[in-house]
Amino acid sequence: MSNAELKNNGLCNTGIETLDEILGGGIPVGSTVLVTGSSGSGKTTLCMQFLINGAKKGERGVFFTITEPLFKLTKNMESFDFYDKKLIESGLVNLIDLRIISERLGLDTEKYTVEDASALLDILKDIADELNVKRLVIDSITALCYRLQTPEMIRDFIFKLGSSLAAMKCTTFLTSEVPPQKFKYSKNDIEEFISDGIIFLGDEEREGDLMRTFQVVKMRGAAHSRIKYMMYLSTKNGVELTPLLSSTSKIKSKE
Amino acid sequence: MATNEFISTGIEKLDKLLEGGTPRGYAVLILGTPGSSIEILSKQLATTGNVLYFTTEETETELLETMERFGWGKPKIDIIDIASKYSKSLMSGEQKRVSVYEQRSKIKLKELIEIGSQGIPPTPKGCEDFLAILSNEIKNTKAEKIIINSLDFFLNQYTQDEVIRTIQAAKICNIENKGVLFIIMTRGIHGDVFERKMEGIADCVIELEVLQKGSNFERFLAVKKMKNYAKKIGIARYAIDSDGFILEMIERIM
Amino acid sequence: MTVSSIVEGLRERIPKSIMMNQTVGIILPDKYYRDIKQVIFEFLNSKSDSFAVYVTITRPYHTILNEFGDLIANNKNIRYVDCVSRIAGISKMDPNCIFIESPTMLEKLGLEINNLFREADEKSSKYLIIDSLSTLMVYNDPEIVTKFFYYLINVTRAKDIHSVYLVIEEEEADKQIKKLINLTDKIEKIVDSFI
Repeated sequence: MSNAELKNNGLCNTGIETLDEILGGGIPVGSTVLVTGSSGSGKTTLCMQFLINGAKKGERGVFFTITEPLFKLTKNMESFDFYDKKLIESGLVNLIDLRIISERLGLDTEKYTVEDASALLDILKDIADELNVKRLVIDSITALCYRLQTPEMIRDFIFKLGSSLAAMKCTTFLTSEVPPQKFKYSKNDIEEFISDGIIFLGDEEREGDLMRTFQVVKMRGAAHSRIKYMMYLSTKNGVELTPLLSSTSKIKSKE
Repeated sequence: MATNEFISTGIEKLDKLLEGGTPRGYAVLILGTPGSSIEILSKQLATTGNVLYFTTEETETELLETMERFGWGKPKIDIIDIASKYSKSLMSGEQKRVSVYEQRSKIKLKELIEIGSQGIPPTPKGCEDFLAILSNEIKNTKAEKIIINSLDFFLNQYTQDEVIRTIQAAKICNIENKGVLFIIMTRGIHGDVFERKMEGIADCVIELEVLQKGSNFERFLAVKKMKNYAKKIGIARYAIDSDGFILEMIERIM
Repeated sequence: MTVSSIVEGLRERIPKSIMMNQTVGIILPDKYYRDIKQVIFEFLNSKSDSFAVYVTITRPYHTILNEFGDLIANNKNIRYVDCVSRIAGISKMDPNCIFIESPTMLEKLGLEINNLFREADEKSSKYLIIDSLSTLMVYNDPEIVTKFFYYLINVTRAKDIHSVYLVIEEEEADKQIKKLINLTDKIEKIVDSFI
């Protein structure tokens, strides 16, 4: 481990204060964390803030987008104060559209053969290695797995990806799309078993108010809090977390 | 007519201008502006020797018809008709796939990162990998004259770096074959930097230019560069008649 | 007892209670509501090194501003959180005030209170005024208000913030509020015969 890592007990600080507290310091370096939620739940913002915070400390990161084109991604992020364009320009945060790369390589947009998946895996590893990144995001792994045709291929892909990135001491966030109000962590049920950690962004209703909830469901190697938090996205601070006062199931109706 | 040192261009006066022909193993860049009849020159070059000809704008049939029209006889020519392949693939939307690893091996990682970071989807191309066809045919040929007419097609479909890499590989094959590689390219449309790069790669650079003098058009063929043969740099005026290129008024610049 | 002498008495007792106790509950009839606010604002103004967050769930921020304008207009050390303007359809903005969409968003309220106190100077004396706990109970389930109340007590204790909770008698809908207010270090109950 490098000196910086030793100081940190081998933990990767997300830079989001409350989250690092929940995790007992941070995410164990090299972990693969699944960030699960329905669309619009704040996964992308969380992941971007993770990369930006790392960049501010000198840790290079790469954001692979499959779901949204780059211009849309940057447009959404620009409204946040934490989003510093200079970090992108200096190459500390790299935004890469994975669809364009796969198109360029002649990969089918609908399905990948075993050779295709293997080639794509190599590309991801090579790019991570070339850019010497310590933080990596794939948004979303669901879209990628959609093209892998069997559960075996999915398991194989995520496992190999996770292992290679762990060897590079690169901490990875994979976003996973699930339908709203469903207590599922991944579409295919496989992603969640291979991941080292799961962060679940839920949406619940309390007396008509729609609430975004945040919970660290699992994080191997970290002493983490398992309570549910309420999540807000503020222009100034990005992701803000505060303990949930009460879940909907416990509310008694008024007389 | 070929000797141990030179290969005939197929145009007598041009051989004279080059004092024998093109040296074996040379890569010759032919730059022309639109209207300079570079098309005719490229076909006339194919009239002698054992030729591998890549045609990207005309079909094989059209090509042979033109050559017959000029009365150049039946040449020993192997035609790779990319023009037909391209229009066929556009019309049928054939999903013929090239191995992704092959694709991957042709692109540098840094370039791939560049492409991905720009976020602009590449222009849709035909499903066949024409650059691969070009590079494979050249790798496998024993022809002593390879003519690429023209490079413009490939520059519209692939990045400049990819094309340069293919040309460099082609150069090496050509040197091994002791043949001559003719690369035809339109001037002024691919950027100054790229043109300089190509001129640097080529061993010999021939430029065709048309200038308007009053109500006349004067056509010039200039040998701008000839590696190791400084004496051969010169200019000739040319015209086209029913037999093809006619060079007149040769001037040496030295 | 004349009203003015009651106010005089308040002017003496209330600031003392606030300064000497970490959490204070003030139970008052509606007719003294304005006076209590006056006394509190006067107190906050008197301390130059103070930093206060005033949370209003009863009246819109701009109403308070109009009512006490001269007293508080120039005090930059009082920040406001308004939980009621937005649901009342008032969309005015103000750099000194954070507007919360609804008084039911208690987590958001807690978050904003925390964010505001981050701006305070380490050395300043810090105050949190909740106007009022009873109004909060009107909008929310007693159980949630209890949880929120505990949350506030813990946070303010940890950060050395003196917190003050107003309870307006007429609004006391739930017995729960009596239980909560008894958890404070000091209760000031204001009655007509108060001296």
